Amino acid sequence: MSKINITNFTIDGRSVTANHGETILNVARREGIYIPTMCYIEKTTPCASCRLCSVEAVGVDGFVLSCNTPPTEGIEIVTNSDSLQTERTNIMKLYDVNHPLECGVCDKSGECDLQNKTLEFDVSQQNFTARDQERSIENWGLINYNPSLCILCEKCTHVCNEVIGDDAIDLQFGGYKSKVVPKDSDILDCTFCGECIAVCPVGALVSSEFQYSANAWELSKIPATCAHCSAGCSLEYEVKTVGAATAGQSEIMRVTNNFEFTSLCGAGRFGFDFDKRDVKDVNEFNKAIEKFKSANAIKFTSMVTNEEAMILNALKEKLGLKLFNEEARNYQKFMRAYSKVSGKLHHSATLDAVKQSDAAIVIGSRISTDNPGVRYALTTASRHNGAKVIYLHPMEDALMQNVVTQMIRYEVGTEEGVLALIAKALLTEADLDETSQNFLNSLDDGYLCAESNVGEEELEMIQKSLRRTKNRVIILGNDVINHDRAENIARIAALIEEYTDFSLLIVPSEVNTLGVSLICDLDEETSVNSVVGYNAKADYTVASFGEADLNVAALNQQEGTFVSVDNQVLPTNVAIAYEGYTLNEIAGALGVEAEYSIDYTPQLPQTSGFKATAFDDLENFLTHDGKDVRGYILDNVNREKSVKFEQIADLPEFNGTVIYSSNPVLQFNPYTADAKQLESDISLRGSAQFAAAARIADGDEVEIQTSLSSVIRVFKLDAELKGTVALNPNFDLGLERTLGSYRYEIAKINRVSN
Amino acid sequence: MSLEQYKDRNVGEQNYYMVDIEDYPTTGWGKFTRVVKRTFSGELFVGLWVVLREMIKFDIHTVSYPQEKLPIGPRYRAVHKLLRLWESGYERCIGCGLCEKICISDCIRMDTKIDENSRKEVTEYTINFGRCIFCGYCAEVCPELAIVHGGRYENASEQRAHFVLKDDMLTPMDLLTQQQEYPGFGAVIPGTDKSVKKTPLAY
Repeated sequence: MSKINITNFTIDGRSVTANHGETILNVARREGIYIPTMCYIEKTTPCASCRLCSVEAVGVDGFVLSCNTPPTEGIEIVTNSDSLQTERTNIMKLYDVNHPLECGVCDKSGECDLQNKTLEFDVSQQNFTARDQERSIENWGLINYNPSLCILCEKCTHVCNEVIGDDAIDLQFGGYKSKVVPKDSDILDCTFCGECIAVCPVGALVSSEFQYSANAWELSKIPATCAHCSAGCSLEYEVKTVGAATAGQSEIMRVTNNFEFTSLCGAGRFGFDFDKRDVKDVNEFNKAIEKFKSANAIKFTSMVTNEEAMILNALKEKLGLKLFNEEARNYQKFMRAYSKVSGKLHHSATLDAVKQSDAAIVIGSRISTDNPGVRYALTTASRHNGAKVIYLHPMEDALMQNVVTQMIRYEVGTEEGVLALIAKALLTEADLDETSQNFLNSLDDGYLCAESNVGEEELEMIQKSLRRTKNRVIILGNDVINHDRAENIARIAALIEEYTDFSLLIVPSEVNTLGVSLICDLDEETSVNSVVGYNAKADYTVASFGEADLNVAALNQQEGTFVSVDNQVLPTNVAIAYEGYTLNEIAGALGVEAEYSIDYTPQLPQTSGFKATAFDDLENFLTHDGKDVRGYILDNVNREKSVKFEQIADLPEFNGTVIYSSNPVLQFNPYTADAKQLESDISLRGSAQFAAAARIADGDEVEIQTSLSSVIRVFKLDAELKGTVALNPNFDLGLERTLGSYRYEIAKINRVSN
Repeated sequence: MSLEQYKDRNVGEQNYYMVDIEDYPTTGWGKFTRVVKRTFSGELFVGLWVVLREMIKFDIHTVSYPQEKLPIGPRYRAVHKLLRLWESGYERCIGCGLCEKICISDCIRMDTKIDENSRKEVTEYTINFGRCIFCGYCAEVCPELAIVHGGRYENASEQRAHFVLKDDMLTPMDLLTQQQEYPGFGAVIPGTDKSVKKTPLAY
């Protein structure tokens, strides 16, 4: 960093330096100098509503707000003086005016900023007064809002707008009558991420399910990693023994996160009660062992920890089985093809890189529901860096509307052509090797444009909008990973990453797809007899959800690690003890022995970038300045390059009624389907155009027939959708859920007559 | 009260006197005469006479426990009680959990939920008397004077559990009129009203 960007100044007589863009408060916090705040939250722009962070600057009249003021060269800052103390005490007194004295029942009591600061500034009597207003408690579904408790710090509106992107709540200004209201609506219409609950410093915004069910100090916090998608969000399960008079049982009461730096979606926050309760049934266990011994293959899903994946792989070797997991195998195939061109095993971008980017291209994913972590990162980039977000998908997504700067609708199935066109547009000035140059030269632009419906002017616009951007990311989703032409797509993506300054983020679909793909030696799924399913339906099923023959522990009842989209190995812990059998016990009976599952953690394959670190040595927290020290980042692994491209295949056509396997907001898998707080909308959602093409109407019960399966759902007309593609959820199918195929399917839709 | 007299270690100048105690007999004969003297002095009859005299006077001070009980000091800390509000009969406990938090032997446990009137309702409340040390912190910290130590010192039952459930501790509705205000630990100090400051109301 150049000298010009550094400012030298003093805080309380201490010489400190500020980097470009840092405020006085940032520097003070970094240096460990305390400045009290009520409304400041690190991940948004300063709310500047509390004025508690006022400091004095020598030579400047009045107070300076440290949260939004960058220092000037040589300025002397004083963080504590008598007049500041009086000012701050008065602010706290004003906050306490008419604040209901209901700490006794308030959920926030014990972890309340207002309580803490009131005590800190020793506000023991009140000499301000205001006529109290009539305020009624609002019930907004999963969220309850009590305006009497609200201190109008605006943290909630800031995160909703700047980080989440829902922009669903707003401050209704009216002096002392001000309150938080749903934006432009009577009811709260949002994705219910619950981030506003998390950031609320008082008990104004609370979870309606949690409200009054426990006090802060009764809950023990279990640091863990979210088990729903590959974003690997850090969270804490808060557990309490319930049933005071009876023999108590532990239950997860709520989920919290380090909201200062991280975010959680609603599935993580409200979808926590998917734990399995069972006891040891020796007969069934013995039966399971027999089934494993006589099995030809194990079929499993990626809803497993790395350690479980390792055990399954060991069982494969020990028993000579085949190991089926199409979805992870597709990812593995994709990444192998990628490695051939890039020479690296892991993709280069992280969610942090997305947050800091000023340009992002998203291809092949309905990202807002596939991976909310990526959505929040894009929102942050858009709001804070004014990032250009180019979103390529056959369907528009209303949730991304506020963020996306350029929407390109391509035809279903043409992902390969689309990415090739993008590559050509981005690589016009790159100094390519011969093979790659030949490949790009051989592209038939006219054909690709016509078939994919991506116009040349749209590509020019991409080039134009990217011109002055510096930090660029390209995000690839599920649709390309599970595409028939995934390998060639991977090569093109690697080419872009290699020859431009774009970093690449490949978003795995399930929680630990990435981990499984790095650990397991997977076989192509063929139809064989006697298959044992692990978290998947087979002839004999062992699973942590649904109707299984033998139950095992769910992912919030296990110690272990996941690999997130950031290529980070993240530890998770046992929130609720499981009384039944675990995979490790089954493996033990089959001759793959270890005392605990986590004994496998240091043995994870180092050839894939894992480190030989024991589970107990993995940290699981964020430092006070927001540094993520959870687990570890996978080591870079170099692979042999052999750049070779295939010609773009004829772009397929998907005519008629097409369904897209996509879950509604907050739903991912059978775990979220089990969670009682999460809304479970299992209808087929489509546009009026789709309804006309399929000859069905809103509310009809329809049978959806594809080449693989048939399912009956209620059709719902969705005004936000366009085109002839309908969204068909799969989270509710439990063990029957099929993964690892291209998400678009031509379907026959028949109305069920009754 | 002044602590002066306790701090004065100068024994000689105070009104102490020596008790006149006969020397212990050292010889065998001395011991023998002491036994004979004590045996035949008739002190037994002194005692019998006192009893007879009091019996004839019919001025009996004996408390016929368990029919009769002496009042117990207000600061006595026996098995806990949960009180109700006088007028409405609602439970005083608001489920704030402070007793649970302050309990040094960690023996209080409670479950709460939101009720149909959006109030915090205590669904279960137990004290593990196997662990309770009757320190009285719970009663002292209770902001609602809901949990108090009663004066009931007889704790004989087949099971400890017979005292620990919410229903056992809570004043039954039909006995609400007999509920006594508790003057012991944590109770409002007499004259508190005078020290309360009014919130300024300028409007």
